[in-house]
Amino acid sequence: MANDNYIEFKHVSKSFPGCKALDDVSFTIRKGEIHALLGENGAGKSTLLNILHGVFQPTEGEVFIDGEKVNFNLAYDAIKYGIVKVHQEVNMVADMTVAQNIMLGSEPKKHGLLDWKKMNRQAQELLDKVQADMKPTDKIRSLSVGQMQVLQIAKALFLDAKIVSFDEPTASLSSRETEILFNIMHEMQDKGITILYVSHRLDEVFKMTQRATVLRDGKYINTFNTQDMTKEELIRSMVGRDVSMFARRMKPRCVQSDDTVLEVKNLSVNNIFENINFKLNKGEILGFYGLVGAKRTDVMRAIFGADKISDGEIAINGKKVNNSSPAVAISNGVGLIPENRKTEGFIREFSNSDNIALPALDHFKTRGLQDFGKKKKNGIKYADMVNLKPRDPDFKTFDLSGGNQQKVVLAKWLSTQVDIMIFDEPTKGIDVGAKAEIYALMEQLVNEGKSIIMVSSELPEVIGLSDRMLVMNAGKIVAEIDSSDFDENRIVTYALGGEVHE
Amino acid sequence: MNNKLKSLKNFERELSIAAGIVLMTIIFSLINPIFISWSNIKDIIDQATIYGLMGLGMSFAIISGGIDLSAGSILALVAVILAKMLAAGVSPIIAILVAIAFSAVLGLINGVIVTKMRIQPFIATMATMSLFRGIAYLITGGFPITSMPSAYRKLVYGSIALDMRSSVLILFAFAVITHIILKYTKTGNYIYAVGGNEDAANLSGVKCVLNRNIAYIICAIGSALAGIVLLAKLGTAEPTAGNGYELQAIAAVAIGGASMAGGRGTIIGTFLGAIMLTGLKVGLIVIGVDPFWQYIATGLVIVIAVYVEIVQSNIKNSQSGKKGLFRTGKS
Repeated sequence: MANDNYIEFKHVSKSFPGCKALDDVSFTIRKGEIHALLGENGAGKSTLLNILHGVFQPTEGEVFIDGEKVNFNLAYDAIKYGIVKVHQEVNMVADMTVAQNIMLGSEPKKHGLLDWKKMNRQAQELLDKVQADMKPTDKIRSLSVGQMQVLQIAKALFLDAKIVSFDEPTASLSSRETEILFNIMHEMQDKGITILYVSHRLDEVFKMTQRATVLRDGKYINTFNTQDMTKEELIRSMVGRDVSMFARRMKPRCVQSDDTVLEVKNLSVNNIFENINFKLNKGEILGFYGLVGAKRTDVMRAIFGADKISDGEIAINGKKVNNSSPAVAISNGVGLIPENRKTEGFIREFSNSDNIALPALDHFKTRGLQDFGKKKKNGIKYADMVNLKPRDPDFKTFDLSGGNQQKVVLAKWLSTQVDIMIFDEPTKGIDVGAKAEIYALMEQLVNEGKSIIMVSSELPEVIGLSDRMLVMNAGKIVAEIDSSDFDENRIVTYALGGEVHE
Repeated sequence: MNNKLKSLKNFERELSIAAGIVLMTIIFSLINPIFISWSNIKDIIDQATIYGLMGLGMSFAIISGGIDLSAGSILALVAVILAKMLAAGVSPIIAILVAIAFSAVLGLINGVIVTKMRIQPFIATMATMSLFRGIAYLITGGFPITSMPSAYRKLVYGSIALDMRSSVLILFAFAVITHIILKYTKTGNYIYAVGGNEDAANLSGVKCVLNRNIAYIICAIGSALAGIVLLAKLGTAEPTAGNGYELQAIAAVAIGGASMAGGRGTIIGTFLGAIMLTGLKVGLIVIGVDPFWQYIATGLVIVIAVYVEIVQSNIKNSQSGKKGLFRTGKS
């Protein structure tokens, strides 16, 4: 029985000034299970985890672990208890070594001095356990995001964790890295470690977890055995409405195939990608699929003038252009919605209206000076167009949810009135509802005569939305597929660098 | 009403410095009423002119995500060159214009080292701090250049209405111009954008290199103006002039609410910051405190002012937290 109620949330509420992030949440987690926490962004998953990890204290309610009431005042207390998190925002010291980061805070010592030998040996043992392809002496700076996550797991093992939470662990991982991660999770489970798992990728939830708990708007909805649920049922309980049609085109296609708006010829960037050739037609959504490392983002950055090209040509509306910088590319009618929204999409200190106005400040002048009134009006106009919440033009973009931040970035390019929009991972890390809205907006845009390139690693999304798809592998375009021939297995085979025999 | 409240909220920072200045004035005046005499206020404004001009320029470097440690050396080098020209009989107006143009070149050198050679601003301008100062020594041979023409001194530091000095006009004019540039021009917007997030700014079509260079140039012009005023005030140009002033300028910017990480700060804030710093120094003298205490007081005021800002923005954050629906799940 104790094992059934290993972690027990009892009437947990958490209020922030003016907002109830968690409202009377009660459920239990079994010892040694992988338990998914599901819900849209803002549903309260992170708040709940933060309470478990001692980052927040509940306003009301109690948390029991192993039948014992726990009350962590500091994150450190939770770690000492054996509750560790493996999170996206990696908090490690970039210039220290792998071994130093694992042992940080409990370094082995000899005669009062650091025992480097022991430190590196212990680290190596842990790295072996998680099959990490790195050395204890590697600098954190040189690791990929995937490696860092594996390293966090090694650290969790070092700390002898009893409970580990994973927050969107696979978002930046290649499929191979994901596979390794899943193996490690299973091994951890075999050792009796209880795992909490937050992910937007429902396939993974079905594959990895035994049970799942759904939160919505800070309230507990239900807990169920993942085997007994279908994807549609699950989504419905997350959003409280039916979104089964999501990532699907709702309007008739509108490609004008005789009207090429963008043509890329033999585009190369030394040592990154080579000989990229493709055309984008007016009114088209052109999907770019590939696995992490396929260099799709690099191609887009080169087209947008963010990186220097070493060879090749770009023509827009039949005219050769030299996109030597993003400023030039924008004046040629190209906009880029970057993959890393938070670090590349908007200015943290800026309000929504300022972020939306930034690429085209010349539009907001009165007698030669910047006119705040015009910017705000413009901000409201485009906020409404993308259904931004809140529509307040003075609201800081940084304080919005991921989905709304993405809408601001989108509004920026609508306001700048570019004709070619490059969406790089447009729905990465944003919730189901906002995803559906972004898809609808993309469709609306092509219907209005804009043209879209969509880079995405989410296959259902590329399949559901593209008119045509280019598959990249290791810096090359390996396949071009029309929407009538979309087939999941085939696409993935191409993306993996394999041949398809017809 | 709501709008008015909102616009007041945008000046929260400035209002709290102003409140600090009022508080300081009350305390000093209670101890010694001379503090609010016109001659003393005039004195504070006069002394605030130099740090103020440098601080206004420094705001640009800092908001753009950099810093300019060479500001004091630029002041000295510009003053020395200007003094040489004046001593050679160049007319004051032309000499001043040449000096300002020259400072723009110095600013550009800083900018190029930072943007093209990609050396961190702190190190880059620490190097030019030494470089520019060295050139000033070379030009003068280490001796002061004295006896500036009275026409020049009258122009820049002559008496105007209310017993004030004409240099005050330079300060106010520069404050107005920099305020307009920062708040109401494309360049100003871009400088905030670059300082806030260079990658995002670049991907939004902002010419980052150009705008960072402009920020360093305006910064150097602020130092040059300070040099021009100092030369007229003292009547001599010394290669040691302005030593350490850059730190006072940075302090004024910090008190004014700018973030040393870039992207945040205002001209009004810096202006008030400079007044506060100077008022504090003068006030301590007026109430008869040992001058050594000035250093301690300055240090404390910087810490308190910046801490108040942190507390303010924390309060703001927790207020925006109430709109929790719109925040990311990470909250």
